[in-house]
Amino acid sequence: MPHTITETCNGCGACARVCPASAITGEKKKLHFIDADLCIDCGACGKTCPQSAVLDAGDASCTMIKRSEWPKPEIIIESCIACGICIDACPVGCLVLSERPRKKGVDAFSYLKNPKTCIGCGFCSRECPVDCIMMRKPEKVVAHEA
Amino acid sequence: MSKPYMGKILMVDLSDQTMTPEAIPDRVYEEYLSGMGLGAYILFNRVPAGADPLGPANILGFCSGFLTGTGSLFSGRWTLVGKSPLTGCWGDANCGGTFSPAIKHSGYDAIFFKGISPHPVYLYIKNGKATLKDAAELWGCDAIETEGLLKQQYGPKAAVAVIGPSGEKLSLISGVCSDRGRIAARSGLGAVMGAKKLKAVVLEGVHRIGASDPAAMKRLSRQCLKWVNFPLPLPGGMMANVGTLLRVSPLVFPQDGLLYTSILRKWGTGGMNQTSIEWGDAPLKNWDGSNCDFPTKKSRTLNPDLIKKTEIVKYHCYSCPLGCGGICTSKGKQAHAHKPEYESILALSGLCMNGDLDSVYYLNDLLNRAGMDTISAGATAAFAIECYEKGILTREDTGGLELTWGNTEAVVALIRKMIKREGIGDLLADGTKAAAKKIGKGSIEFAIQAGGQEPAMHDGRNDPGFNVHYCLEPTPGRHTLGAHLYYEMFQLWKRVKGLPKPSPLYTKGSKYKVNREKAQAAAACSKFMSLANGAGMCMFGLFIGAKRIPTFDWLNAASGWTLTPEEYMTIGERIQTLKQAFNIKHGIEPKDNFISARALGKPPQKEGANKGRFVDIEKLAPDYWDQFGWDKATGKPEEETLRRLNII
Repeated sequence: MPHTITETCNGCGACARVCPASAITGEKKKLHFIDADLCIDCGACGKTCPQSAVLDAGDASCTMIKRSEWPKPEIIIESCIACGICIDACPVGCLVLSERPRKKGVDAFSYLKNPKTCIGCGFCSRECPVDCIMMRKPEKVVAHEA
Repeated sequence: MSKPYMGKILMVDLSDQTMTPEAIPDRVYEEYLSGMGLGAYILFNRVPAGADPLGPANILGFCSGFLTGTGSLFSGRWTLVGKSPLTGCWGDANCGGTFSPAIKHSGYDAIFFKGISPHPVYLYIKNGKATLKDAAELWGCDAIETEGLLKQQYGPKAAVAVIGPSGEKLSLISGVCSDRGRIAARSGLGAVMGAKKLKAVVLEGVHRIGASDPAAMKRLSRQCLKWVNFPLPLPGGMMANVGTLLRVSPLVFPQDGLLYTSILRKWGTGGMNQTSIEWGDAPLKNWDGSNCDFPTKKSRTLNPDLIKKTEIVKYHCYSCPLGCGGICTSKGKQAHAHKPEYESILALSGLCMNGDLDSVYYLNDLLNRAGMDTISAGATAAFAIECYEKGILTREDTGGLELTWGNTEAVVALIRKMIKREGIGDLLADGTKAAAKKIGKGSIEFAIQAGGQEPAMHDGRNDPGFNVHYCLEPTPGRHTLGAHLYYEMFQLWKRVKGLPKPSPLYTKGSKYKVNREKAQAAAACSKFMSLANGAGMCMFGLFIGAKRIPTFDWLNAASGWTLTPEEYMTIGERIQTLKQAFNIKHGIEPKDNFISARALGKPPQKEGANKGRFVDIEKLAPDYWDQFGWDKATGKPEEETLRRLNII
């Protein structure tokens, strides 16, 4: 079951901008639509929608979450087998295989290279064969003074 | 219930620039899986008999594996299929990297191209929407450069498969590159892509790949990981001695693939460099030499520990926990290039008697950029050297190159010429058989090839199984479908009923005896690897052994089927038979594909590891063919067989 948009949509277009599958279309200020064939159920639209107009795969209404609070993958590097399944599962390409070894030796590992593009879908965590990825809400970082 | 396949393909007609998505019935996946199987199904039905491999009627297909993206391990390989311009037979080439899942993420199981574009183009697919774009600016760029330019435009997550200048210049030994230097090199399919004026395929997509039982997939993967991480202590600097020991020992025991996976984990395929030379597995001096010509003193420059020192970080193909690849740097010549593989190293060193490792690094990168097969390029250089040494080619012919054994500079210069198709390079850029035909003067004797394709760096006189597969596969000269050693490592008898178990200790001489068990083992390898190529599995993973790597169980858990290992082997048999039927349809006589006499041991070698060895392929062939229900005398699949396998 893909995500769907209800009548409460005000056509702000935030969901279409965040959708990694280009599944959402619609004119500005008009009801938007999710193409069921393209939707991958990543949930990014639901977390973005200010109107709570998105229903998830189980038809439950999604609530908006501030982007800085979206969960992000934490990888236990020691357990990572560098199979790259998480990198491939990531719809926005924010994970990559390290260009450097993890410590001594030459073993690679995957890491979150672009935390800003992460949409917190959790596909990486779900598909990791050794379950070494945890989705966690980022702890508040104290902003450094400029 | 999610299926592991997308259920559709994209057929691109380059002549009229149309793109048609086509639904593929479930029955086809049930009978052929995807990958090589789906490729064979489409090509057998749609390439007209006698089609020119470089003409518009030939079809080139990029096929993802059935298990790719389902949560299984070692399943990230894609298969490039087409009628081979090098052999005129069924052609396929296999490659790892990240392109296989990208095909599925784009919404298709495979992408096929027919026709010829009037101008250079590349295909771009984003989330299922395909467009052909002008490639005038990319034409002429090398493979890594092109990939860089395309990734600059479409972002780092875009998966790119490209041809280099070799493919553009229709060199019959060129391949298709992806992931900055991984290459689907064999069968000369890069030339087919070049002839179609297709520079690249760029895929961007996030389509999800399913599995019937994801939890079971994960459970099976974890069970398998236990064996992948099995720690075998391998002290450095001893690999040459292992080879010597294997050579002098009159008795051998069936080898366990765990040793090989441990070697691959530590060094990569290059871990076997010196072992193979010492043991007689690596052909030397254009298949005329032996370990006596290239003793450890000389081969120590190829010591795997030296290669390991240049490695910065391991390279893993998609879904591979082993990571036999590596990203290397070599004395300031290239920063960050793929670690040369065993085949490349031996073809460019031992086969040409070149002991200079730096030149191997350089040539490996050069050939990857050009998109030329390192095995065939090295073998063709070795052929040219032998012709020069025997006076068939003169200094005038070579444009002043002193093509003598071990002349590193000349080998480098020659391969550069082959890439550019300059002077003698133009003659040699289509492989040994085509070159020998043009040179004449009896040079065909020194062109070591099977059906036109140069065999890999595994000597069939050392392991007669290699010769069986070089000669009898529908893709002649192929080393990745079976061998005596592979059969021992696959340990198929532990899962598949009715297969012979090797005896725990046997004499080396017994490997050469022709009997039914040999044919059964060879046929089982062909069936199993055809199945694996349909599934997108990596052979190195399968070396762990059939009981430890759950290929059949993964297939069931991914698809929701409940087939037995024997039934899966029938799928492999069907794919193999269809490839053979493809050859027959195109007028190939299987007997014409036998490897050059020298590689069979005719005349036998006078010294070294393979002294006196001869493989009687004429006697082995009928038994092998019989295992599939192909005619014993001609190798043509019987009508009854085709019916039994539901091919006709």
